[in-house]
Amino acid sequence: MAPEYSSLVERGRVHRAAYIDPAVFALEQERIFRRAWLYVAHESEVPNPGDYVLRRLGSAEVLLVRREDRGLALLHNRCAHRGARIVAEPAGNARQFRCPYHAWTYGLDGHLIGMPLPEGYAEKVELGLERVPRVESYRGFVFGSHAAQGPGLAEFLGGLASAFDNMLDRAPAGTVSRFGGALRLEYRGNWKMFMENAVDLVHPPYVHRSSVETARDQPQALAADGLTQQGAQMFLANGMRAAQWDEVPLHAFPGGHVYMGGFYRSGVIAPERADPVYERYRAQLVERHGPEKAAAVLAVDRFNNLVWPTVSVNSRFAVLRVVQPLAANRTVVEVQCFRLDGAEPAMHELTLQFVNLAASPASLVASDDLELFERCQRGLEGAAGDWIDVRRGALADRRQPDGSTLGRGTSELAIRHQFAAWLQHMTQ
Amino acid sequence: MKDELEAFVLREARLLDERRFAEWLALFAEDAVYWVPTLPTQASPQEALSLFYEPKTLLAMRVARLERPDLHAQTPVSRTVHHVSAVEVADLEVRSALVVAEWRAGETRWFAGRVLHRLRREAEALRIVLKRVDLIDSEAPHRAIAVPF
Repeated sequence: MAPEYSSLVERGRVHRAAYIDPAVFALEQERIFRRAWLYVAHESEVPNPGDYVLRRLGSAEVLLVRREDRGLALLHNRCAHRGARIVAEPAGNARQFRCPYHAWTYGLDGHLIGMPLPEGYAEKVELGLERVPRVESYRGFVFGSHAAQGPGLAEFLGGLASAFDNMLDRAPAGTVSRFGGALRLEYRGNWKMFMENAVDLVHPPYVHRSSVETARDQPQALAADGLTQQGAQMFLANGMRAAQWDEVPLHAFPGGHVYMGGFYRSGVIAPERADPVYERYRAQLVERHGPEKAAAVLAVDRFNNLVWPTVSVNSRFAVLRVVQPLAANRTVVEVQCFRLDGAEPAMHELTLQFVNLAASPASLVASDDLELFERCQRGLEGAAGDWIDVRRGALADRRQPDGSTLGRGTSELAIRHQFAAWLQHMTQ
Repeated sequence: MKDELEAFVLREARLLDERRFAEWLALFAEDAVYWVPTLPTQASPQEALSLFYEPKTLLAMRVARLERPDLHAQTPVSRTVHHVSAVEVADLEVRSALVVAEWRAGETRWFAGRVLHRLRREAEALRIVLKRVDLIDSEAPHRAIAVPF
């Protein structure tokens, strides 16, 4: 296949090469993942000078380091001498980085401190660990870009910065901290499928039917322990009728970002709680914000907030899902959660439970999504027919004065919107 | 007693391979927990994320779902072998090594880990109070997992 990239996306349909062609994937790496702001880590993961975490940024392995001056450095994990990977542990603390091969040694900002036998060089060696050109933090959430030029992070986030704002507003202390390790899901399918599915509100009753029906068959689960209740509510919510899903409007922003609003209000996926833990938490927020703002913060009832191309944010449960494209047909999604600083431990446990239930590879919900991604990939790879159809709901899409587009919950607006951003990157 | 407890955990594994999930569930006490942590050193499910953290009522939903024809992640169903070995018994605790081979939809995959069974006698029958499975690659990315370990 040697597609003309501009012809892969037409009005209401997409060529399957966008999902399966390794040449398209390679070009995505260059034109999307080497240009856009990609999520790296949260500042709470590197609180002290010398702290580092090892992460993936597009196809590169990078180190996010807290420097001596408390600023952040984002460095390629590759020795300037002979190319060895310098750090092999996923996180740690270092005073300097020393290559295990020939002991070239670098400071926390990547500059070369020294190497054995400097007299063997005719001139002073000016090499260092290569820096990722841009690293910026949005209120603690650190993104990196392989492009030296381009819009700043706040401009890139645009209407989706509010997803991070709302997560922070929900913390009684005004900050959040990463905790709890991570869940990592893999599927033999294209990365775009995850980003599309996260804002696809027609699939739940079909894909998740087995857990919906199980919960309907076992109404006693709603009266069982808190964890089982939380699960049963989540499973049942996926069984909402199309008319109910339509009440969850999609908001699509330039650049491919999308969020869905009205989720908790319409459904029962996570109803407002009335237990003592939640009441104490609500009182803490009233203390921080005053009653009106606290009510407004808690009333933001979006579910998935997509910061295209790599992050899905759930503000209420303080969860990020970070997409890592590994090949045209291979993707890893890392699920990370955060403490709402100042809240009591029972609130953090609720976050862990929510993520276990919703996002583990063994989840009664997520396992069926992963299966469908793999079926889509195999279908696209193996069978006849070059196009997929994404027309549903286009008639009801409405442009808003702020440049965003509003669509019904059952619209495929989000997919069309992501492909508009995709096409813009791929053809420039 | 060692023989009795060893036979119990071997049968428990076989029930999973034979997809007799309801009988498997019946081996768990009412207050039981089935737990697969993400971290090898994890002290509790409240400390970090878990691949599975299910009290019996939630495990019962998993088992009921496994019997359904519309469970896509088990269409077609998996064939598994739970290989249990290196069994050590101390009082009512059983430690073992587990290797699971799973064949599904034309592919085979493998899991390995250590298992802790904490058991109790209830009216002469043994029941599981805790089954903890520590996979050697618990932090690794995993594709969909439907059949318990």
